[in-house]
Amino acid sequence: MEQVVQQLINWLALGAITALLAVGFSLLFGVLNVIHFSHGDVALTAPFVAMGVLIALPAAGFGVAIIAAIVLVGFMGVILDWVSIRRFRSAPPMMALVATVALGIVLRELIRLLYPNGSNPHSFPRLFEGTAFTIAGATVSWLVVAMIGCSVLTMFALTLILYRSPLGMRIRAVSQDLEMARLAGIDPNGIFQATFFIASATGAVGGLFTASYVGLMRFDMGIIAGLLGFSAAVIGGLGNMTGAIVGSLVLAGLETLAQAILPDGAAYRLVVAFTLVLVVLVFRPAGLLGRVPVPKV
Amino acid sequence: MIELEAVSTRYGAVPMLREVTLRVGAGELVCLLGPNGAGKTTLFKTVAGLIRPTSGTVRVAGSPDARTERIAALGVGLVPENRRLFPGLTVAQNLCLGYEAVRRERVGFDQGLEDIGRLFPRVLERLDQMAGTLSGGEQAMVALARALIGRPTVLVMDEPSLGLAPKLIREYFRIVEELHARGSTVLLIEQNAGMALRIAQRGYVLSRGSVVADDAAEALRKSSVVRNLYFS
Repeated sequence: MEQVVQQLINWLALGAITALLAVGFSLLFGVLNVIHFSHGDVALTAPFVAMGVLIALPAAGFGVAIIAAIVLVGFMGVILDWVSIRRFRSAPPMMALVATVALGIVLRELIRLLYPNGSNPHSFPRLFEGTAFTIAGATVSWLVVAMIGCSVLTMFALTLILYRSPLGMRIRAVSQDLEMARLAGIDPNGIFQATFFIASATGAVGGLFTASYVGLMRFDMGIIAGLLGFSAAVIGGLGNMTGAIVGSLVLAGLETLAQAILPDGAAYRLVVAFTLVLVVLVFRPAGLLGRVPVPKV
Repeated sequence: MIELEAVSTRYGAVPMLREVTLRVGAGELVCLLGPNGAGKTTLFKTVAGLIRPTSGTVRVAGSPDARTERIAALGVGLVPENRRLFPGLTVAQNLCLGYEAVRRERVGFDQGLEDIGRLFPRVLERLDQMAGTLSGGEQAMVALARALIGRPTVLVMDEPSLGLAPKLIREYFRIVEELHARGSTVLLIEQNAGMALRIAQRGYVLSRGSVVADDAAEALRKSSVVRNLYFS
């Protein structure tokens, strides 16, 4: 029983982190129609930015460094769009995709070269210490509680922004019909910048929790984290925020299950996760909650 | 209010509009007719700033070559082909975006809604419904309501009757006529020549990107150019 509860807690923790990355992929795809493959790398710069802030301003404290990292990574997303991705708005999607892959490599290499001993893994502190409570013998740390709580709050805040605010109304208008949105006086560039900020800052929260959960930060952590976030978004249905959350929970569930029941399961968790992606792409190309557009005849 | 002076446009290497000159004065209701592929939607997009002319000048509400995002703020209500409502937004949100695009302080959104309710009572009954779930006729009314809610001084409509039942077409044109009678300037881009010429004062006929006729509506009704384009 203890094992089952522990695995359920692990599932929710993993799902929470994945969802924070997956919603960014979905949001950016929904609005820009671009798969932003460097989103994972952008998100996973957050731990480095937080530690960088702490190195530069030791008096600031860890809490301030964390908030600064979330805001700075949000702006970094906006700047990366401005210097690179926006140049491919009218280009074939394949060009934009290759550009975002290249951007991810540039980011990783910059971290490796600019951060002190950037090639080596560095320890990253736990954002929250101690045990919160025990259920059926399984311990639940404050970090896991914070991860799940923050993820739920972030999703709630994103839902409010997207569905209850004037900004969200404009974001959805641009995602549904860019040309008509322009005719309605909406400046799409402003909407793209806002979307990049929201997606990157949300990803930064996920990046910080990822580093804190595993206790270290590495320059190339964004690759796998990004691929898992992207896969979760694809499983749920790219462009669909609820789909991204559902996809994250399904993916995390399968990873956790693989670790729990397979011999040497940890080694196979990615095999299982990406096999699920293949299965979904074959049998439900639009994802679990995505809808394939039906052409009108 | 709308002036196109020797405007030419291209899609890549293909010429779309060729030296088109067109004027719509304040308070006029002018129609632009033409068969499929004549360049009517290209002209709409050129007026709206979505397509930049390769030569010539476009002046809308006194502003030359205005950016698309600024057109509505100049007091121009736009009704594009196929309505183009935001399907995943409610009718109220679609109207709100139309209202904020024009952003005329003298009319509040609620007052704008009241005005819309007088013209299209059904639209007010559908405020909380997703625009994508409306019938074709309702979508046409909401698209026009969205363009009107900010009380624009100029209205540009691209094939508003497309896909509507004959009864709805008559109702739609009656509303356009009423708007014109209240003082709105209207450029009505239409394929339905009979209906458009019945309510318009003047008309232009576009064929293969060029204006081939330009006259009073009455004269165009009898014109062989219109007859040949539509009935030959």
